[in-house]
Amino acid sequence: MKKIAVLTITVLFLWSCTENGPSGPDPDDFDREAILINWADNIIIPAFTHLSETTKDLHSSAQNFSSAPNQQNLEELRDSWKDAYIAFQHVAMFEMGTAMDLRYRDNLNIYPTDTTEIKDNILEGGYNLELPSLNDSQGFPALDYLLHGLDENDTELLSYYTSDANADQYLSYLVDLTARINSLTAQVLDSWSTGYRDEFVSNSNNGANSSLDMMVNDYIFYYEKHLRAGKIGIPAGVFSGTPLSSHVEAYYSQGFSKTLFNEALTASIQFFNGIHFESEVNGQGLDDYLDYLNTMKDGADLTTLINDQFQDARNKSESLDADLAAQVENDNSKMLATYDELQRNVVHMKVDMLQALNINVDYVDADGD
Amino acid sequence: MRLLKLILILILAFVFYSCDSNNAPNIDAPEIYEFTRNGESTVSFTGQTTRIQMAAELTSAMLDFDNATEASLLQMYRNETEDGGDANPFENADLNAATKNIKGKVAASADFFSSNTQLSAEIKNQFEAWITAQTEEVFPNEDSLAAVGKPGQIADGSSTRYVNAKGLEYNQLVGKSLIGALMTDQMLNNYLSTSVLDAGTNREDNSNGTLAEDANYTNMEHKWDEAYGYLFGTAADLANPIPTVGEDDDFLNKYLGRVDGDEDFNGIAQETFDAFKLGRAAIEAGAYDVRDEQAQIIRENISTVIAVRAVYYLQSAKTFLDQPEPLYGAIFHDLSEAYGFIYSLKFTRIPNTDTRHLTLQEIEDMLTNLEAGQGLWDIESSTLDQMSETIAAQFEFTVEEAAN
Repeated sequence: MKKIAVLTITVLFLWSCTENGPSGPDPDDFDREAILINWADNIIIPAFTHLSETTKDLHSSAQNFSSAPNQQNLEELRDSWKDAYIAFQHVAMFEMGTAMDLRYRDNLNIYPTDTTEIKDNILEGGYNLELPSLNDSQGFPALDYLLHGLDENDTELLSYYTSDANADQYLSYLVDLTARINSLTAQVLDSWSTGYRDEFVSNSNNGANSSLDMMVNDYIFYYEKHLRAGKIGIPAGVFSGTPLSSHVEAYYSQGFSKTLFNEALTASIQFFNGIHFESEVNGQGLDDYLDYLNTMKDGADLTTLINDQFQDARNKSESLDADLAAQVENDNSKMLATYDELQRNVVHMKVDMLQALNINVDYVDADGD
Repeated sequence: MRLLKLILILILAFVFYSCDSNNAPNIDAPEIYEFTRNGESTVSFTGQTTRIQMAAELTSAMLDFDNATEASLLQMYRNETEDGGDANPFENADLNAATKNIKGKVAASADFFSSNTQLSAEIKNQFEAWITAQTEEVFPNEDSLAAVGKPGQIADGSSTRYVNAKGLEYNQLVGKSLIGALMTDQMLNNYLSTSVLDAGTNREDNSNGTLAEDANYTNMEHKWDEAYGYLFGTAADLANPIPTVGEDDDFLNKYLGRVDGDEDFNGIAQETFDAFKLGRAAIEAGAYDVRDEQAQIIRENISTVIAVRAVYYLQSAKTFLDQPEPLYGAIFHDLSEAYGFIYSLKFTRIPNTDTRHLTLQEIEDMLTNLEAGQGLWDIESSTLDQMSETIAAQFEFTVEEAAN
C-alpha cells in the first residue's frame, strides 16, 4: 500500500513536472545547417559578390575622375559611390570571419567622418589607412565628404581637384580610399568563396561558438547598434538628449540617408526571413526556425509579431524626409516615432527570439570608458 | 502559555527599544547634504573639487599627442615647474590659479602614510614614471600598430587605444590608480579617521562650537566635508548628488554609480550618501560614536566599489579572451582598467581596523603577473580567474556578482 502511494506521488510529480516544463519541439532537432546554407549561398555570398562589383566600379570611376576631374566624371563617381553604398547595406551585418579580423565595417562606414583628419591626411600625406585611428577618415563617409561636402557648389568643389595647390593630393587621397574599400571587400568575398563558407555551414551545432549563435548575435547587434541607433536614434538625439542632425549617414549628400536606411531595413527583413538576395525566393531563415518551435508571445505567433513590427517601422519611416538631417531639424518627432517602432523589434528579437532559440547574447553594451 | 509568550515578546521588544535609544541618540540627518550655522552654509570642500578637476585634465592630456609633453604633464601632476616655480599647465584658469596639486595628496593619508613616507614617495613617483613612459614610449608610436613587444595603437570596437609594449594603457593606469591613491586614501584613511577628525583640540572645539579661523565651520566639520568632496565634489548638485551619481567625474563618483547600477549592489550609493549625511549631522550633535559608525560604513562601501570594479574588468577581459578570436583591443583596455583598480586596492580599509583588505605583497604579485612575459599579449584566462578569486575572497561578494 505504501509502495503504491509513493509510486502514485512520484508519477503525479513527474506528470506535473512535464506539464509545467518546456513542451513542443526541441531546438536540437531542427536542421540548422539548412539555414546556414541558405544564408551563405543565397544571401551572404551573392550580396558580397554584388558589392564587390560595385566597389570595382567605384574604384575605376575614381581613377577616371582622377585622370579627368570634370563635372561629368564627378557625377559618375557620385553614382558609383551611391551604388556601392547601397550594396554595402546588404553586407554590413555580416561582421564575422575575415570581416571581423579586418574590422571591415569600421573601416568602411564610421560616421560622422572626421573632416579635420581628412584634410590633415591630404595636406600632410604619409597616412597609414590601416591605423584604427584613421577609421573615421576613410570609407564611404569620407567619400561622402570629398564628393559632396568640400563645397556646396560643384564648381567650387571641383576646384579642389583641379586648381587647388594640393589638387594632386586630393585626387590621390580619393583614389586611395576607393582602392581600400575595393580591396577590403575583395578580401572578405575571397575568404567566403575559398573555405570560410564550408567552415561556416558545417559549424551547425548549438552553443556559443556555433555559426548560428554567432550569426544571430551579429545580426541583432547590427540591428540594434547600426540600424536602430546609428541611422535613426543617434541623429534623433535618443542617447544624447540633443538631436544631432550632422550624425546622419551620408550627411553631405543631403538626401541619400533615407535610401540607405530603407535598404538596410530591407536587408534585415530579408535576412530574418531567409529571402534570397535580389530575388523573391523565400528560403530557410529564422522565421522557419521559430515556426518550427511554435514560438508564441502573449498568445501571438512570434514570427508574425516580428514581421508585423518590421512593417510598422517601415510604415512609420515612410513619411520621413529623404534627407534625415532635414527631418531631424524640421520635425524630429517623426524620427523618434520611427526609432520607437525599431526599438520594439529589439525586444522581440533580443529577448523573445533568443530565448526561444536558446541563444545567449554574446555582447554587452560598451562601458563607455 | 499564550500569555507567557506575549509577555516575553513585550519584554524583548522593550529591551530592544531601550537598547536602541541608549546607543543612538536620535540624530536627524537632513534630506540633502546641507548644513548651516547662523543662516550660512558650513559646508566646504573646494580643494577636493579642484583636485578631481586637475586629475581629469591630466588623464585626458595624456592622450593629447599634439600638445602634451612630458614637462607639461608632470606640471599638471605637480602644479609647479620642474624647479618648483609657479606653473600654469591647465586649460581651466581656476586650476592654474589654485595652490593645490595632485601629487601632494597621493598616498598621503595620516593613517597609512604619515610614518611610511618611503612607500608614499614610491607611489608618488610611480605616477610620474607612468607619465614619463607615456611620452617616451607611446607618443612616438602614435601612428604605429601595436604588436607584441611594440607600443602603438590598437582598435577596441570603434575606439582606438594606445598601449605600451605590454599592451597596457598608461592613461588608464594613472586614472584608475588615482581613484585609490588620491580619492580613496584621502577619504578613508585621512579625513574619516579619528586621528584627523579628533586631531588637536578638534573634539573640544567642535563640542563648544569653536570655529576654525576665518571660517563658518569647526575643524571637524570641515574634515568630514573634505572626505565627502572626494566623492561628490564635482556633482551637478553638490548637496544632492545621488540623482547624477556616476555621471559627475571619471573617478570614484563614476564607479560608485557603476557598481550601484549592478543589481547585486544596488543601493550602495544611497547608503554611502546617507552615511555621509548622518555622520555630518552627528558631528553637529556631538555624537562621535554615531559619526564613527558612519565612517565605517563608508570605508566598507568605497573599498567594495574598488574591489568590485577590479574583478569586473578582470572578468570582462576574460570573456573577450575566451572567444575563438580574442579581441585584444578590448582585453587590453579592460585589463588596463583592472590594473589601476588593483593598484587602488593598496588604499582600501577594512572597517574598524588599520589594514587594507589585501596585503601589499598580494597586490604587487597580481600587478607583476599582469606585466610578466609579454604582458597582456600572453595573459591567460586562468590567471584572470585566480586574481578575481583572490580579491573577492577578502570581500563580501562573489566573483559572479561583480562580473555581471
